[in-house]
Order: sequence, then C-alpha cells, then structure tokens
Amino acid sequence: MSLLELENASRLQHGVWIAAAALLAVLILAPWWADDSDLRSIAEFAYLVAIAQMWNLLAGYGGLISVGQQVFIGIGGYTLLILSLDAGISPFLCIPVAGVVSALFAVPIAAVVFRLQGPYFAIGTWVVADVFRLALDNVPAIGGGSGKSLTSALMSIPGWQREATTYWIALGLGVGLTIGVYLILRSRLGLAMTAVRDSVPASESLGVRVGRTKLLIYVASALGLGMAGALIYLTKLRVSPDAAFSMDWTVLMIFIVVIGGIGTVEGPIVGTAVFFFLRAMLADFGPWYLVILGSVAVVVMLKARRGIWGWVAGRFNFHVFPTRRRIRVNSLRSGFAEMPPSPRYLTE
Amino acid sequence: MTGSHTISRRRILYAGGAFAAASALSWGGAIAAPRTVKIGYVTPRTGPLAAFAEADDFVINAARKTFAGGIDVGGAKHPLEIIVKDSQSNPNRAAEVAAELIAKDKIDLMLVASTPETTNPVSDQCELNHTPCISTVAPWQPWFFTRGGKPDVGFEWTYHFFWGLEDIIAVFTTMWGSLPTNKVVGGIWPNDGDGNAWGDAKIGFPPALAAKNFSVVDPGRYQNLTEDYSAQIAEFKKGNVEIVTGVPIPPDFAVFWRQAMQQGFKPKVATVGKALLFPVAVEALGDSGRGVSNEVWWTPNHPFSSSLTHQSAGDLAASYESTTGKQWTQPIGFAHALFELAANVMARTQKLDSQASIRDAIAGTKLDTIVGPIAWGSGPVKNVAKTPLVGGQWRQGSKHKFDLCIVENSQAKNIPIGGQLEPI
Repeated sequence: MSLLELENASRLQHGVWIAAAALLAVLILAPWWADDSDLRSIAEFAYLVAIAQMWNLLAGYGGLISVGQQVFIGIGGYTLLILSLDAGISPFLCIPVAGVVSALFAVPIAAVVFRLQGPYFAIGTWVVADVFRLALDNVPAIGGGSGKSLTSALMSIPGWQREATTYWIALGLGVGLTIGVYLILRSRLGLAMTAVRDSVPASESLGVRVGRTKLLIYVASALGLGMAGALIYLTKLRVSPDAAFSMDWTVLMIFIVVIGGIGTVEGPIVGTAVFFFLRAMLADFGPWYLVILGSVAVVVMLKARRGIWGWVAGRFNFHVFPTRRRIRVNSLRSGFAEMPPSPRYLTE
Repeated sequence: MTGSHTISRRRILYAGGAFAAASALSWGGAIAAPRTVKIGYVTPRTGPLAAFAEADDFVINAARKTFAGGIDVGGAKHPLEIIVKDSQSNPNRAAEVAAELIAKDKIDLMLVASTPETTNPVSDQCELNHTPCISTVAPWQPWFFTRGGKPDVGFEWTYHFFWGLEDIIAVFTTMWGSLPTNKVVGGIWPNDGDGNAWGDAKIGFPPALAAKNFSVVDPGRYQNLTEDYSAQIAEFKKGNVEIVTGVPIPPDFAVFWRQAMQQGFKPKVATVGKALLFPVAVEALGDSGRGVSNEVWWTPNHPFSSSLTHQSAGDLAASYESTTGKQWTQPIGFAHALFELAANVMARTQKLDSQASIRDAIAGTKLDTIVGPIAWGSGPVKNVAKTPLVGGQWRQGSKHKFDLCIVENSQAKNIPIGGQLEPI
C-alpha cells in the first residue's frame, strides 16, 4: 500500500450505478408497460435533463454564462421542419442531423460572441438568438412569423411507433448527454475547461489552449441542444420563430441547473425533478406559478448557492458521478501517530 | 426518477377522486354509473391575449350549470367534466397542455379558441392523436393553410368555424366605399399568424384592394410589441393615406395611434382588426378612440339565439353584464357556441368510446347557434364552417364610455345596422 493512492469508487457509488442501470432497463421497456401520458412525462423529463446538462456544461464547468442557448433549440427545431417537411427525410433521422447543423452554426456564432467577456458575453448570446428569431420571421417559405406545422410529416407513422421512437430518442438524449458530460469532464478537455473557468491567465500560463477549449465546449453544447430542439419540436408539432427562439428555454435551463446544483453532473437531474414537482403542484395557479418558481430560485441562490446537489455533495461527500480525481493519503502502519487514521482528501 | 413519482402521486389522487365520485354517485342511488364525458378547453387565460378569454369563466360556469344533470350522448345521460387549460398566450404551452389533455385526461372532445397562436398548436396535437377538435375565433385561412391544409383533402379530426379574409375584405372595403376618401389605404400588418395572412400578396388585402380600385401603402411586416411606428407613419403621410387598416395586437395599436396623433397623421378612417375588439382596448385610446371601426362577429343585436339555453344574443350579453359588471365582448357568443356545438355533437354521437363516431357527428353538424347557423360541408374548404361578419364603429356610449354600432352588413343582411360609418 503506497502512501498516496487514487481513490476508487465507493461501495455506495457502485450500488447507485447498479440501481441506475436497472432503472434505465425498466425505462427502456416503458413503451410496453406505460401509457401515453407516462411516456410523454418521462420523455419530457429526459429532454429537460438533456438541455439543462448542456447549459451546465457551458456555465458550470466552462464558465461561459450564456442566456442565448435557445438559439440552438431553434436551429434544431427549424432543421427538423425543413428536412422533414420540404426534403421528406424521416423526422427521426433529422434529430442527429439537427445536432450537426446546430454545431456547424455554433462555430461562426462563437467567433462573434467569444470576443465578449462576462456580462457582455451573456448579452451577446441573447442578441444572437434574437437575430436568428427575427431573420426566420422574415422567411415566408418556412412560415415566416406565423410558423408551420409538422403534422403532415408525421401522419404516415403509426401512433405507437411514433410515440415509442420519440420516447426512446428522448431517453437516449437525457441519459446519453449526461454520460457525455461526465466523460468530457473526466477527460483532458474537462480538466482544461475547469482550469479555464477558474482562471484564464493561470491556465494559459500552464499551457492550456484557452480559445480552443472554450470553442470545443460551446460546439459540444450546441450539438446537444440542436438534437434536443429537434426532439422537442417533434413533440410540439408546430415550429414558429417566437416559440422556437423563446428566451423561456434558457430560463428553464438556468432554473433547473441553479436549483439542482451548478457544476455537478447530478444537479440537472435533481433540478428537473424539483421543477416537475413544483409544476405538478402549482400548474393551476396561473401567474402565481411563475412567481413561486422565481421565489424558489431566489431562495436557493441565497441559501444554498451550490444548489440542492451541491449541498448534498458538500454535506455527505457523496458523488454519483465523481468528476474530480481525488487522492487518498493512506495511514502508514504504526509509528506515524501524527497521521490521521481516516482518509483525508487533499484536493477538497 | 422523480418524474415517475409525480405521476404515481397524480394517479393516486385520480384514483381517490374517482373513488369519491363513485361513492357520491352511489349515495344518489346510481348502481352502474355511466362513464364521464370529458371535454378539454384550451384558451389564453393569461398573457397578451388574455382579453379574448375574459368571458370564459362566465361561459364555463353557465355550461357547468346547464350540464349539472349530465350531458346527453346518443340518448343516454352521462356526467360531464370540462377541463380548462391556460395556453398562457404561448404556442409552446398550448401544444403542451393539449398533449396533456389528450394523453393524461383522455378527453373525448377538444374545444379551443382565440387567435391562430392558440388554435393551431392545439389542432395539430388533436389531428395527430386522433382526437376530435372544434376550434374558433381565428380567421379560417391562417388556421387552415399554415397547418399544411390542402383544400380538397382537409383534415381528418379538426374542425373550425369562423369567418375568413374574403369576408373581412368585403366588409372593410364596403365600409370605406360609403365615405368620400381618396381610396389610399395604409396597412399595419404584423409578422404573425394573422398579419402574414392579411397582408399576403396572393390571398390577403393587397390584391383584393387593388381589384376594388384602392391603392395600398404597405410599409411591410413589423414585429409585435414594436415601440416606434415613426417609419410607418412617415410612409403613410408621404403616401397621403386616408384609410388605416391592419391587424395589430391591442397594445401595439394603442402605441401606433398615439404616435400617429403626435406626429400629425389624422386619417379619415381607421378600421382595424383584432386590436379594437374589446371596449377596454378602445378606452385605452382615450378620446381619440371615438370613431375607430373594426370587424364585428357577434353583438347583442345579432338575431340569433342559443340552442342550449334558448337565450337570445341580447339576453346572453345582459346576463354577462349583470353577472360580471363588465361591458359585453364579442368572444362571449363564440365561447357559448362552442358548448352549444359540444352538446349537439355529443347528443348525435352513436358510440361514446369511438373517436371516429364523435368526429362523424361533428362533420354532420347542422345547428342554429347564438353566432348563426353552423354546418360543416358547405364551407369554403373541408373542415371549415363560416359564420357571418359585419362592420362596426365605436361611438360615444350611453351606459359605457364607448358603444359598438353596426355600420355595415352587406355580407349578412339579416343583422340589423345601427347607423352609417362616420369620418373620425
């Protein structure tokens, strides 16, 4: 046994992973046991987790606070509309394509918004999203400001097949993007990202390529949001600029991430659960619903700045998705009485 | 994970509710309770379109009272549940609540009203999920064409009743023809479902006006909630516009009109759709609201009565004014007509558990309602039934600040006029 050792997953973590895998298996089979409304709810849960993960990746790990991420939801929605309605491509195939299109748009958008810092970056992303909204408002071929319905592209697909495929794609996005974020964070890129978030000059001096790191993360986020956007409009059936490029999408992402725990992979899942719970309880209160949601966000920001999961992780030192490598100092047999008997965490 | 928790919690509540309902019925002596008929109603209760839904509570409460003893389905009484959802004036939300009504509440019939931003997403969800749907209070072209409708094919599950662009063009131009003007029309058409259809170069106002020897100054589509109309006003002044028309949302017209007054642009006629429907919107213009004119789809003076309550249009409006203490508005008649149609359709439904049977009953409708006779099958395209349209002008009121006076009825002679259009 050496003095310093990379900590492995705990038994509790293994337990959680096995439980999660079992739950996933049950969820994959849901089209055979759940009814339409359950499928829709689980699918919505999954895509909200997916889009929240994408914002979390940017803001929580990359330090890029964007309030214009709806631009990629909108690009995804419009890619679906154009490809399925005008080019006759299967709407389900359009979803990965929408991710790629959205990632391609992210490169020139990044070239513009990365010139801005901090709050200017946030405003800049918002302006870009609105530019897209206004531009599409003025393209009559795809409905202009009125928007267009997707129904005719979906009419020929039998109901069960449509519901089940949509559900599986949503589930795949929710689970896949969560695992994707985790893997990115465990990689060299993840290390570079958090370094950039914490200090640009320090990471630059250590040889981290700041510009490239930010760009990769921005494009990755756009890829995920583009796919999610196409999926969302596959369920909503009607794409219009005001709806697809609505600020509401980013507000939702921010709410979920802030409540759940910014900068944790678990946070968006917890945040989505809280959002679902609040919405189910308050949906019939009209405008008060939004007032209460806002108040909850304010209270969490003041009282638990790292969100619900940030609080849990700090209090119990428990991570389902540990993104930091932690080194354990092993106590050496006898003679080193000054060494503490239990493991200590050097990096915490 | 917790998503499914929420669902199970809801299910328990539902099961509990069903149990309570069942025991309540058994107290009443029913042994085999007939199944509850569920009607979903989506409407913009909050947000910028909320004025359209102002009368909903009044109409729904009245409908619940009317159906307290159950609704007749093919000769048998069934309990009725009306589930109302708020679209928040947002098409995303409208699609979401419609999907929820269909998948979770398992409604038998969908009713939806007020502007294409509400009716279209809801109709789309119904069309794809095979749920019979009746919609209204949106001109039929934006409802039909932006949803990908083909005139000979139509839709399978969704039906609409209201007037169309051809009616409003006829009404507006006849109104303008009754006054001496230079026949130059300025259009403020926004970039939304209605504005794009009204301003369309093929099916909208511009070609129709040209055919009737009006010339058109069209400054182009603008975004809703624009705060500066100087460009439009300048173009109107330059083009010597004497007639203003358009289909802005109410807050936008108020801004436009105030700026027009400030910048010395005083047209002889302002006949505007959508923005001037509600007395509150006209009152917001202050004294400069006197003399503006608009489209009229329903008034207390319409010579129709309800097939459900046998009230006349005048009785219904009077009942609204005495219940709520507010001035009547046009959507009252159409919201009421939706429930008239629901009752009539359900009564003619052969098999309650067959969506196709309910749909066939809708298609076979021939009913004299409080907004006029409604029959699908004789409309301009499949799935569309038309109701009459006339023109009105807001005048100094006696009981209220402004009263709506019908000044044009060339499209529906049975609706009496109260005067002639006067210049502003």
